[in-house]
Amino acid sequence: MNWFTGLINGMLQGATPILLSALGGTFTFYAGIFNIAMEGMMLAGAFFAVLGSYYFGSWLMGILLAILGSLLMALVFIVFAVLIGVDEFVTGIALNLFSLGATTYMLRQIFNVKGGFSDPGIVSIPRIHIPLIRDIPVLGQILSGQNLVVYLAVIATVVSAFVIFRTRFGLRLRAAGYNAASLSSSGVRTDRVRIYSLLICGVLCGLAGAFLSLGYVTLFSENMSAGRGWISLAAVILVNGNPWGIALISLLFGFTDGLGLLLQSYRIPSQFTSMVPYVATLIALFFYSIRAKKRASV
Amino acid sequence: MSKKLLSGLSGILVALIIGAIVMLGQGYNPIATYGALFKYSWGGLYPLATMLKNSVPLVLTGLSASVAFASGPVNLGQPGQFLIGALFATVGGLYLDLPPVLMVPALLLLSMLGGALWSGVAALLRRLFNMDEFITTLMLNMIADFFTYWAISYPLFDRTAFSPMTPAINRAGWMPVIGQFNTSVLVMVIAFVVILFVFNRWTAGYEWRLTGQNSIFARIGGIDINKNYVTVMLVTGALAGLAGGLVLMAGPHRFLKGLGANYAWDGVMIAVVANNGLIATLLYGLFFSTLQTGALGMELITAVPSEFIQVLQAVTVLVIVAGRETIDIIVDRSVRRRKVRERTA
Repeated sequence: MNWFTGLINGMLQGATPILLSALGGTFTFYAGIFNIAMEGMMLAGAFFAVLGSYYFGSWLMGILLAILGSLLMALVFIVFAVLIGVDEFVTGIALNLFSLGATTYMLRQIFNVKGGFSDPGIVSIPRIHIPLIRDIPVLGQILSGQNLVVYLAVIATVVSAFVIFRTRFGLRLRAAGYNAASLSSSGVRTDRVRIYSLLICGVLCGLAGAFLSLGYVTLFSENMSAGRGWISLAAVILVNGNPWGIALISLLFGFTDGLGLLLQSYRIPSQFTSMVPYVATLIALFFYSIRAKKRASV
Repeated sequence: MSKKLLSGLSGILVALIIGAIVMLGQGYNPIATYGALFKYSWGGLYPLATMLKNSVPLVLTGLSASVAFASGPVNLGQPGQFLIGALFATVGGLYLDLPPVLMVPALLLLSMLGGALWSGVAALLRRLFNMDEFITTLMLNMIADFFTYWAISYPLFDRTAFSPMTPAINRAGWMPVIGQFNTSVLVMVIAFVVILFVFNRWTAGYEWRLTGQNSIFARIGGIDINKNYVTVMLVTGALAGLAGGLVLMAGPHRFLKGLGANYAWDGVMIAVVANNGLIATLLYGLFFSTLQTGALGMELITAVPSEFIQVLQAVTVLVIVAGRETIDIIVDRSVRRRKVRERTA
């Protein structure tokens, strides 16, 4: 039974950063923004999380700074794409590379290292042990003892689904993407709705980044988001932005992540096991397109 | 053209000023830094030759992205196509044994084949299953990254080395060096001229451009847009693959980890900032190469870390693109005002 809980826990760990950034992406998706900057936001979050945790000796400051760093990237996106009107795709590409360059540069300037920074002084985000539940056999090892951010991600999913489908803001958000002109004509500032959606995306990607560098592992390395922002974008597109669908897809990707680690113990070269999530994305896209084709022909 | 030149030059200037302010904030001397930067990329024959050699992967991947974006397909697979191209050239260079006259063209063709094969996978997925190349090329990048990493760690691994790399390819496959200039630059120029000619003068290029601007109009006009889609994907993949082959054959002569560096993403940025113009791509490619080549000199003399250049590049792109947008808005406004005035007069 041990390998089973290991696999499930690996799945939850792998799913969390993708889930959080995909939830961020779904807000901008509904607002009608072609946002590909999740990768950059997450990376900035991961860097600032380590910075905050190391200098203040507290994981809470780490999370706070991660959110601030990621928000900074969101602000740049807002200024260029929403206020000036630069193409969203162009802004996203430049922002991702800016984030990569800036974190690498700061890694060198602030910590005086190249490649990666790990130190016993970095405080990682704690695991939460829930009394009573943790005593349940098997299930207790899964439901209890997870990283704090894993629980936050679950809460974020529920809240996102509620906000998007059940509140006035959610209605406006969807209207901004569905028909911006009619939203504007009913007296709501569309650009303001879009700005809010980007800020929410910034917060969620910051959390995802913090989990990467303070939960998943306790270090920062160059380009450590490693395409997770792109995978989360694929997840958003695959389920047309539905938060519950995103949760499901993220778990699937998390599962392939955990599966990769499991396969490694069967002496399959790690390069192939690392490929698994990306191949899984392609396969998921394949089924999505087949389904879309069928629907179009009906 | 003059408007483009204006927005480009003013954008570069503003970006350099922003860079200078950041440097001042960290206690560096910006004038000495920029001086070192340009001295190590333009000051003399050797720096110039190095700068030109370094521009090869940037310009070619930039061209790949420019041609793709201007013709419709969102091919973001340059990083993967670059790596597979380099891998094909490596395999050819290890197992083929030909005189240099045949060897160099053979390896270049192989690298183009590799790149086209990798972009062809994305094109095939699009044509058969309607899978968006925007995401598939990105995923194929990661897969190519891990696949080449595996190839140089196991089957092609140099047993005398301590880190993942292949043995050196046969000497006949090395790009010849004339004086201080590497002939990879020559190949780049030829590729650029050919692409420029095809894109601007040939029927095929006309069809690509038309499809990129309005695919419905192109289809009604009798253009086979599906065939053109595949051709553009293959051509742009081949360009990125060629970049990979040239880097390998001009530089380390062996495939080592991190060979692709960030060239291909820089190429995408170059295409973006050049607004998919081919000549602009060449010029911005040279500018980016200037920054990257001078970066080492800069670090040597003024201790500004070379990573600073990565930040400067992204800032340049954002400033130029934003500047272009604002200039357009201002020009539009003044045109509108003039029209209003003419109407009321």
